[in-house]
Amino acid sequence: MALGRMSRIRPLSTVSTVFIEVVRSIPVLVILFLVYYSLGQIGIKLTGMAAAIVGLGAFYATLYAEVFRAGILGVDNGQREAAIALGLSHRDVLRKIILPEAFFSILPNATNQLSNLIKDTSLVFTIGVADLMFQAQSASAVTFEPMDMFLLAGVIYFLFYLILSKVLARWELNVQRSRS
Amino acid sequence: MSNEVVVKVRGVTKRFGDRVIFENISLDVHKSEVVAIIGPSGVGKSTFIRCINHLHSFDEGTIDVQGFRLVGGQSPSKAELQALHNSVGMVFQTFNLFPHLTVLDNIVLAPMQVKKQARQQAIDRAMHLLAMVGLQNRANTFPKRLSGGEQQRVAICRALAMEPEIMLFDEPTSMLDPELVGDVLEFIQRLARTGMTMVLVTHEMMFAKEVADTVVVMADHGIAEMGPAREVLESPRTERARSFLRRVLNPVGSPREPNLVANGGDDR
Amino acid sequence: MHVVILYLGVLLQGGMRDVELTVVSSILALMLGALGAIGRLYGGRIIGGAIYWYVELIRGLPPILQLFVLFFGLSQFGIDLNPLSAAIIWLVAYGAGYAVEVFRAGIMDVAEGQHEAATALGLDRKITMRKIIIPQAFVAMLPNLTTLIVLQLKNTTLLYLIGYADMMYQARLGADATAQPGPLYVVVAIEYLVLSAIISRIGSSMEKRAAAYR
Ligand SMILES: Nc1ncnc2c1ncn2[C@@H]1O[C@H](COP(=O)(O)OP(=O)(O)O)[C@@H](O)[C@H]1O
Ligand SMILES: [Mg+2]
Repeated sequence: MALGRMSRIRPLSTVSTVFIEVVRSIPVLVILFLVYYSLGQIGIKLTGMAAAIVGLGAFYATLYAEVFRAGILGVDNGQREAAIALGLSHRDVLRKIILPEAFFSILPNATNQLSNLIKDTSLVFTIGVADLMFQAQSASAVTFEPMDMFLLAGVIYFLFYLILSKVLARWELNVQRSRS
Repeated sequence: MSNEVVVKVRGVTKRFGDRVIFENISLDVHKSEVVAIIGPSGVGKSTFIRCINHLHSFDEGTIDVQGFRLVGGQSPSKAELQALHNSVGMVFQTFNLFPHLTVLDNIVLAPMQVKKQARQQAIDRAMHLLAMVGLQNRANTFPKRLSGGEQQRVAICRALAMEPEIMLFDEPTSMLDPELVGDVLEFIQRLARTGMTMVLVTHEMMFAKEVADTVVVMADHGIAEMGPAREVLESPRTERARSFLRRVLNPVGSPREPNLVANGGDDR
Repeated sequence: MHVVILYLGVLLQGGMRDVELTVVSSILALMLGALGAIGRLYGGRIIGGAIYWYVELIRGLPPILQLFVLFFGLSQFGIDLNPLSAAIIWLVAYGAGYAVEVFRAGIMDVAEGQHEAATALGLDRKITMRKIIIPQAFVAMLPNLTTLIVLQLKNTTLLYLIGYADMMYQARLGADATAQPGPLYVVVAIEYLVLSAIISRIGSSMEKRAAAYR
């Protein structure tokens, strides 16, 4: 999709751009509901799990498209010019110069989005269990003791987050150091 | 140049972490003297003049500036630093104008905030300084709209607006296109003639010879040679100063190795 | 399609409540965030460290979990918040956590030379911050501030889960009452689309105006 948006083929780039911008502007939860309920009503019935995978998948695909685009555009134009001046083909420039260079600027954003994705899996219960919670809530019959459950979930999510942000950050640093 | 010493450097050593940048530097700057510091890239020229106005701290030794004493390893009080910065102006290689302020606001900011001058008084002084460099009609422009040479002249005006006793210049022309260097150097030379005390890091050897009273050659973590400008530049006594000057005065290569093709001539 | 016509009014009203919450919580979050960033940068080890971990918690825990802890979790200890106050407290707490990072990055991005020039002129730290660093940091971080406000808006989608009567809540009620969720959620999606477009537009026009000096 990132390549699509930057493509020189006009319709392709326009469609990719519009799609990315639209999906990016809609909250994840609304996307999940659209996939689960709205598609369901026009006959595409998905299980909660399938809807979650499709919804989150579509949403994060577009976010990743943006991450890649930013990374590719971020490569110093001098690199591009130098490669073209050396007579590399358009495709080789992209494959051998731009993408490897971009990889390192993309890495932090990519891991960042990954940790967002993990957090957003917490929304999935809204298209399965949510109705229960919603009803319980609107009847204001909150009698359960949820704190323990929250604490456990919180610890697990936070560990995931720390591993992703800290450990990967260190790995990135090492990769960068070994290159310079 | 008088006998009064306004900057007295004694045994100053500077490290970044474990790395020694320079060791045991001593130097006197007299009132109205112009001292040019030269030397290869990376020897610590910038670091040294930043020690004089305490933009960098240093580890050992003392620096007396205008009766204030900086001691290695100790941090001066806020009031002392304030007084130091009031009497020492600095001009940077990269100009460092405040991009979000107009030329005029760049110049009047410190006089108004630090010296509590009235705005009108500060503006009058700023316009006077700008007129000296022919930029009075650019007062309301943002720095990015000026050429590098114009920006640097504004930066000098900004420092002068605080009416300093001493001016530090860190390679004021090395970021400029060659045709813009002249205007800036000419301004600095005029300033020297007014009797301003100056410490100036530069790569402009001709300028140093003409304007400086004293030339200091830095090499290998210290001062390799120091003396009257003409003497040091024309007949250096030490081998280290000689070899540095040979390289800067004859950058293309020795006559026996004619450097006709640009094959790696840029060895930075 | 008549469900849309039937519910459009309440959906728009719900949308207004989301907008109000977004505006109020963003303003408060930005103010707290600016303070937090200064604390983080200059507050020393204890204050700086506490703010660091606060930001990490806000960024590391799923939003929905944070909201539920506030609303359901605290009530277990006898602290009963009504949906509106829980919503505001959470949005502000969450937005402030992000704002700290936005401000901090903005402040750190101002070139070292600007600090040096200000110090050499004798400007003290307070004036340097106020007159030199913050104005430049603000312009540099405007795009991230816009993103933050869009994020706040998107976070309002979660509030129906604690019974705050916003757009999503109305859509949910409508969906249950009519057994026709499809069109209603499409309307919700469009509303969010339009609202984020408006925020982004305002943001980019501010960017243009603020960056006139560049
Ligand atoms: N803030 C810093 N931290 C660590 N090392 C530095 C710092 N500033 C300069 N250096 C190092 O100190 C040495 C001297 O730098 P500098 O004073 O800029 O040299 P010059 O101005 O003579 O070219 C260089 O090797 C540089 O890498
Ligand atoms: Mg230097």
